[in-house]
Amino acid sequence: MAGFSAACAIMLAGALALGGCKFVRTEDEQKRAAAGAFNPERLVAEIWDTKVVPYLEERAGPFEDVAALAAGDPDAAGAKYGHKEKQGNAPWTFAARIDGTIVAAETKSRAAYVDVDVDGDSKADVRVSIGPAIRGTAIRDSLDFVNFNEFKNQIEWAQYGKSFNTHVNGALLEKLPREGLTGRSIKATGAYPLPAGGQLPQFVPATITIGGS
Amino acid sequence: MKITRRMTVVGFAAMMAASVAMPAFAADLIAIITPSHDNPFFKAEAVGADAKARELGYETLILVHDDDANKQSQLIDTAIGRGAKAIILDNAGSEASIAAVQKAKDAGVPSFLIDREINATGVAVSQIVSNNYQGAQLGAEEFVQLMGEKGNYVELLGREADLNAGIRSKGYHDVIDEYPDLKMVAQQSANWSQTEGYSKMETILQANPDIQGVIAGNDTMAMGAIAALQAAGRNDVIVVGFDGSNDVRDSIKSGGIKATVLQPAYAQAQLAIQQAHDYITTGKAPAEEKQLMDCVLITADNADKLETFALSE
Repeated sequence: MAGFSAACAIMLAGALALGGCKFVRTEDEQKRAAAGAFNPERLVAEIWDTKVVPYLEERAGPFEDVAALAAGDPDAAGAKYGHKEKQGNAPWTFAARIDGTIVAAETKSRAAYVDVDVDGDSKADVRVSIGPAIRGTAIRDSLDFVNFNEFKNQIEWAQYGKSFNTHVNGALLEKLPREGLTGRSIKATGAYPLPAGGQLPQFVPATITIGGS
Repeated sequence: MKITRRMTVVGFAAMMAASVAMPAFAADLIAIITPSHDNPFFKAEAVGADAKARELGYETLILVHDDDANKQSQLIDTAIGRGAKAIILDNAGSEASIAAVQKAKDAGVPSFLIDREINATGVAVSQIVSNNYQGAQLGAEEFVQLMGEKGNYVELLGREADLNAGIRSKGYHDVIDEYPDLKMVAQQSANWSQTEGYSKMETILQANPDIQGVIAGNDTMAMGAIAALQAAGRNDVIVVGFDGSNDVRDSIKSGGIKATVLQPAYAQAQLAIQQAHDYITTGKAPAEEKQLMDCVLITADNADKLETFALSE
């Protein structure tokens, strides 16, 4: 009798547990669905410090070296410092380190930038975005561990690309000074796409320090 | 009545038999299915694919689905029935087309998508996707610069049922909305149409004479808008389009429209044929199914190099 009621109790507990389990599972699924909703800003925030910055720091070459190689042989520069999607027609995007002097600044535009001399001839060699609006998707396109094929469609891929810019702006660029930039030193690690002929490379920083003059 | 029906059934059975028997006689057929050729963009796709297919020794079957998913489904049946070795498809909807492409796959006919993507992978062999979003961002960045980052503007949207109308608008706003001094005073659909672009622009201009810019979801609407603006003596308004048509190229060269964005329609159709040919002859699929084709900004600087949706070097 005691055995029977114990069995009953176990069965009852089992039934309860099952019932409870079912209820929790539905709730979990809802949570999972909510969590599974595409959230590009969170995706970027999750990999920024652990993957993105280390990757760029490891992959980047001194800007002078990258630019010189890219000017003569973009594919060789791409193999060493760059990345692009295996298929499609996107240009190479290169990882590079800048160590130079600001020779001009445009801070009235929302897409503000500083022009930087890296080889000491006082002429601009590269244009560094300082936000808040950042053109293009250079950071996303420089990473070999993200791929369009893993996204649902081009909208999500584009939102993902924009989220890198948003992150850069919030984490780095908003804190930068906006006045008296010309003449100051600058160090940055980041990425830029192969520039069109005759244009300055458009560099998006992933780390940046603006020093004294 | 009964006899008629029986005859129809017999006729249908004969047709089925014929279509099953056909493949043996049409070993080298590639079907090229796109939206209506009324839009020169889709015509360029069909012409580009056709030329490349013939160059490689294929016969072609050129069909249009008019953005009707049901019609597209019937055309896929036709292609399967005719024994096509491959289907080149600019599809009629990112969700609705999945089943149609799956149907072709189940029948052993590989599909190579161009221009528009579907929301599924592993169904088509390749998807060579026009990067509408990137193109819209390029066009918007140019528009912002031309506007001096401020002023009132109008947006003409494409047909709302078309995914690309939404993608382009979203790409535009992703950029433009970062500039608080740019104010959208009207946003209307002109259904990709030049005549509607004209009439909508006329009406909008009456209600909002204080505008400095118009950004349009495609070139035909931009052509309509610039005509209405010029008729009203408003040569000061900045107009930007999308597609890279010869009409807009000529307008840019004569100082009308300021910029457009080229989608490489001709080149991507040819690339799809090449990939189909490789797949048919070697069984090899491209390294990645989804392949993004970036768009190129067209301004007075490079308009000279543009011809039938292709930019010469």
